Amino acid sequence: MFEKILIANRGEVALRIHRACREMGIRTVAVHSTADADAMHVRLADESVCIGPPATRRSYLNVPAILTAATITNADAIHPGVGFLAENAQFAEMVAEHDIIFIGPAPEHMAIMGDKIAAKATMAKVGLPVIPGSDGPILDEDKALKLSAKIGYPVIVKAAAGAGGRGMKVAHNDETLRQALPTARVEAKANFGSDTLYLEKFLEKPRHIEIQILADNHGNVIHLGERDCSLQRRHQKVIEEAPSPALNAVTREKIGARCVKAMKKLGYQSVGTVELLYENGKFYFIEMNTRLQVEHPISEMISGIDLAREQIRVATGAKLNTAQKNIHLTGHAIECRINAENPETFVPSPGIITDYHAPGGLDVRVDSALYSGYRVPPDYDSLIAKLIVRGRSRNECMMRLRRALEEFVIGGVETTIPLHQRLLTETDFINGDYDIHWLENLLKPVA
Amino acid sequence: MEKFQFDDDLVRSLAKLLEETGLTEIEFEAEGQRIRVGRNSGMVAPQSQAPFLASELENSGEESERHHPGAVTSPMVGTAYTMPEPGTPPFVSVGDTVSEGQTMLIIEAMKTMNPLPAPRDGKVVRVLVGNGDPVEFGEVLMIIE
Repeated sequence: MFEKILIANRGEVALRIHRACREMGIRTVAVHSTADADAMHVRLADESVCIGPPATRRSYLNVPAILTAATITNADAIHPGVGFLAENAQFAEMVAEHDIIFIGPAPEHMAIMGDKIAAKATMAKVGLPVIPGSDGPILDEDKALKLSAKIGYPVIVKAAAGAGGRGMKVAHNDETLRQALPTARVEAKANFGSDTLYLEKFLEKPRHIEIQILADNHGNVIHLGERDCSLQRRHQKVIEEAPSPALNAVTREKIGARCVKAMKKLGYQSVGTVELLYENGKFYFIEMNTRLQVEHPISEMISGIDLAREQIRVATGAKLNTAQKNIHLTGHAIECRINAENPETFVPSPGIITDYHAPGGLDVRVDSALYSGYRVPPDYDSLIAKLIVRGRSRNECMMRLRRALEEFVIGGVETTIPLHQRLLTETDFINGDYDIHWLENLLKPVA
Repeated sequence: MEKFQFDDDLVRSLAKLLEETGLTEIEFEAEGQRIRVGRNSGMVAPQSQAPFLASELENSGEESERHHPGAVTSPMVGTAYTMPEPGTPPFVSVGDTVSEGQTMLIIEAMKTMNPLPAPRDGKVVRVLVGNGDPVEFGEVLMIIE
């Protein structure tokens, strides 16, 4: 087992990893920017190293600083967390070159899944259903128009190097497609450094269903069921639930098995999430995240498996100690992502937390690095807490979540708690009847 | 906001009270000003504040240095070397006069040596880092006056 792990991340994710480490008796090194000097996980970690000023590029994305910090603290392994360098294959390679274990999958899989075109082609080869589309970069307007005529409008133009749901454009006809292509190219280049685009059929009302994968370095792969992450605003997830109200046991078992088979063929290791769109009973692969995901706790709540712990375990070379047939998903879990933002305008609201009281009770979990007096820095994304609740049934879960939201006090900044409370009163949500456009439609200003 | 009147007699009597009574913390409030005096009893304090760990205590002496106008801080993470090579005299010592741009230290990171130049002319009054010490971004290495 590792003696010391350097956590190359911040906020509640870094705290999550710190907790998993400490429960295994592993010492932690927290690297942080000057803006995060008072962060909870920095205070709790065994050691901390300030790696740069607030700007992400000079701190959490600063590879030399992070590698040097690992060297001077003699860390055995680096956990990249979520975002930042977590899906950076070059970083993973450099970590390995320094004789430090990178807690994550092999760099080659990170590279494949980071290139959305290559990811799709690879997954199609290993037996996953994919969305009909260009199957490669679109090189000119004519080809794009011909393809769209073949697969049928509407279509969506995406950046091959894209991530986080940014830089995508929908076109409903030839005219709008002609306009979308050059704009998409420019944006892709600006945001992701590459103007390579690809095209896909645009599904009108799909659900976002993702499968949690866990694999060791010995060829054993299991899945922990699905998460329904259809509630999104501007491609950012707002509420996630597991299991999905739209799937039954048979469907779940089938898609889970298909993903496991694909991962085995790839020789994938560590945790990962296969993201799919689900419409009219059909699944379509969209992308794979080769890391732990923000919403992993809901899978933990219904499976009883500690994913961060397992990820660390398999990184040491240990074998999975649970077989698929022993994974039992019981109950229902929902996660609310609470952001430091105005609940209606979503304008970020950084500042000092004046009062903090987290809800408690059976099956109520809060993953947050907040504390009374903490200053939420303006330099990073606005996620400040995740409220994860489980119930024996979806109804019990929602009742408990409603109750927990009532108790949650975060004073000093605006938060999206009122938005979550509102969503829990919406009939469609109560009925589990929503797709990936539902939330945005709900929030559209009434004309 | 009115200026906080620092009454060190008050602090001293509160500290004495702590000793005499064996309490670990006293909070005193009057006329809108509040003072809290605490004593580290050796146990980690419960959840009202995050525990202060060893690394914080070590750095607390450094905190006052950080704001010193002549503080020379580390621009990167790495290992500090106060001398060009083992066995050679250090680049600078306390009492030396330095000119702007003069090398005061080397910080090594990823096998590259990065000389740290003096930000201005002055006299070295404190050296806070030892040869081979690991340093973090923003850490105060020396003070020039």
